Amino acid sequence: MTRPFLGFGLGLRTDHYQHIIEHQPPIDWFEILSENYMVPGGKPLANLDRIRQDYPMVMHGVSMSIGSTDPLNTRYLDKLKALIERVEPAWVSDHLCWTTVDHINSHDLLPLPYNEAVIKHIVDRIQAVQDYIGREILIENLSSYVTYHSSEMSEWQFVNEIARRSGCFLLVDINNIFVSANNHHFDPRDYINGIDPDRVMQFHLAGHSYHGEMIIDTHDHPVCESVWDLYQYALERYGAVSTMIERDDNIPPFAELHEELTRAETIARRTLTAEQLAINSGRMMQGVA
Amino acid sequence: MELRSLQQQFLYHLLGESTGLEKVIESTPMMSARDRLNIYANGYRMRLKEALQTDFDKLHSYLGDAQFDALMNRYIDTHPSHTTSLRYFSIALAEMLAQESPYSEHIELAELAKIEQAFANSFDAGNAACLSLEHFASIPEQAWPSLQLTMQPSLQIIACYSNAFAIWKALSAGEPPPEAQHRDEVEYWVVWRRPDLISHYRPLAFAEYTALKSMSEGDSFAELCEQLLDLFSETDTPIKAIGFLQSWVQEDMLAGLDYDGINAT
Ligand SMILES: [Fe+2]
Repeated sequence: MTRPFLGFGLGLRTDHYQHIIEHQPPIDWFEILSENYMVPGGKPLANLDRIRQDYPMVMHGVSMSIGSTDPLNTRYLDKLKALIERVEPAWVSDHLCWTTVDHINSHDLLPLPYNEAVIKHIVDRIQAVQDYIGREILIENLSSYVTYHSSEMSEWQFVNEIARRSGCFLLVDINNIFVSANNHHFDPRDYINGIDPDRVMQFHLAGHSYHGEMIIDTHDHPVCESVWDLYQYALERYGAVSTMIERDDNIPPFAELHEELTRAETIARRTLTAEQLAINSGRMMQGVA
Repeated sequence: MELRSLQQQFLYHLLGESTGLEKVIESTPMMSARDRLNIYANGYRMRLKEALQTDFDKLHSYLGDAQFDALMNRYIDTHPSHTTSLRYFSIALAEMLAQESPYSEHIELAELAKIEQAFANSFDAGNAACLSLEHFASIPEQAWPSLQLTMQPSLQIIACYSNAFAIWKALSAGEPPPEAQHRDEVEYWVVWRRPDLISHYRPLAFAEYTALKSMSEGDSFAELCEQLLDLFSETDTPIKAIGFLQSWVQEDMLAGLDYDGINAT
């Protein structure tokens, strides 16, 4: 397949609306947080529509709870579908985690045990979601702080197997790999090597903070040097993958994030050929095979 | 352990209950299972607090950090989230303040929360076109009694038995709030969003409140006039009612009208 390559993007944050609308900075695309626009109307949707006119977008959600043992939340999926129709994103992603049980929402991305029973459970649910919304989704790897005794394989085997069986794609968060590698003592390169390049559709780059020896995925700092190295390693293995910087807290002026994104582009230009980096929207990711 | 019971134990751990969850998590020399789990429990509470602080920043400055923190903890402990969006987590806070002691003895707290919530609701309420005076010009005279109006989805009426609005205004301007006053007489305010997407507010005198409430509940113009007859003479009532309608139109409060089965939006 030809992988769509959108280029280099940023997470769309309210602090930057004004700047983006006034200056139309040369960013290839934006990722929106889906839940922020699941409101009836007003400024959030007006700004979204306005910015969408000028930029390609992808949608990123936190509430699908794909790993939960509660029934799929079809009310949420209906809202997601409505937003997909409005935004016409290049693709839609959520996380390989669970957030809700007994209909109580933790508002966190909680980890799963890595074993065959859980793989089956999640593959079924991803396929149900893909059927429901009529398109393939991307799932993102987490940062995690616990390991369950019931895990029987590495995280990358788990992720890869789910993508292979469900037909979904992967949003590989390079920072999350780095954070989890530190917290669970594995080599992040083993993780990157363990993922099938054909399933990788997007990268996240982000910052983190230290909590003693543990690293917490806080998205409130610039991307660190080790994550930049790992990014280059991932590009070498996967080729051109749409890349963005994810900053959720301590949000700097737009220009500062843009500069960080330019560094990602510089690394990609150094690592890959111009031909590999030609932007293409690829085949439309609509209709599940 | 089954995935379902693992998830339930994990969630109840976040909610602060003691579970056997530690036994299914690996401890390492770097960090024990308990401390690893506490990263999640702390994160859970912190995220919910951030949502409450964002939604009620005036109430926060009015109460001060310590009191507001106690309030947040009480709310979080008694209101597990059932929403997919943190935007709606705080939805029952005003009600808790109105009903539970010691907060209920300070009615301005619940009212301040209601005001902040009304502005938040107005901010992202549904969009609707605004009625203009031309829409009214074409109503045949005999159709007026059956006229019904639809308000802008953002329009909300707030009843205050305290000077909560004055407190809110002072805090919004970064000024020290006036001392709380409780009154026997209710004061009404209206909050709504205009086409420039900015939320507006103003007080409502009792007669206008009566008219606006009546129309927003789907009464006809005849029923509205009926209610105003308690307040005005028979000659003055239609003039007053038309006057209210005109100002609602000029202030972009109306979204639709309906008479004898004809509607315009
Ligand atoms: Fe991420």
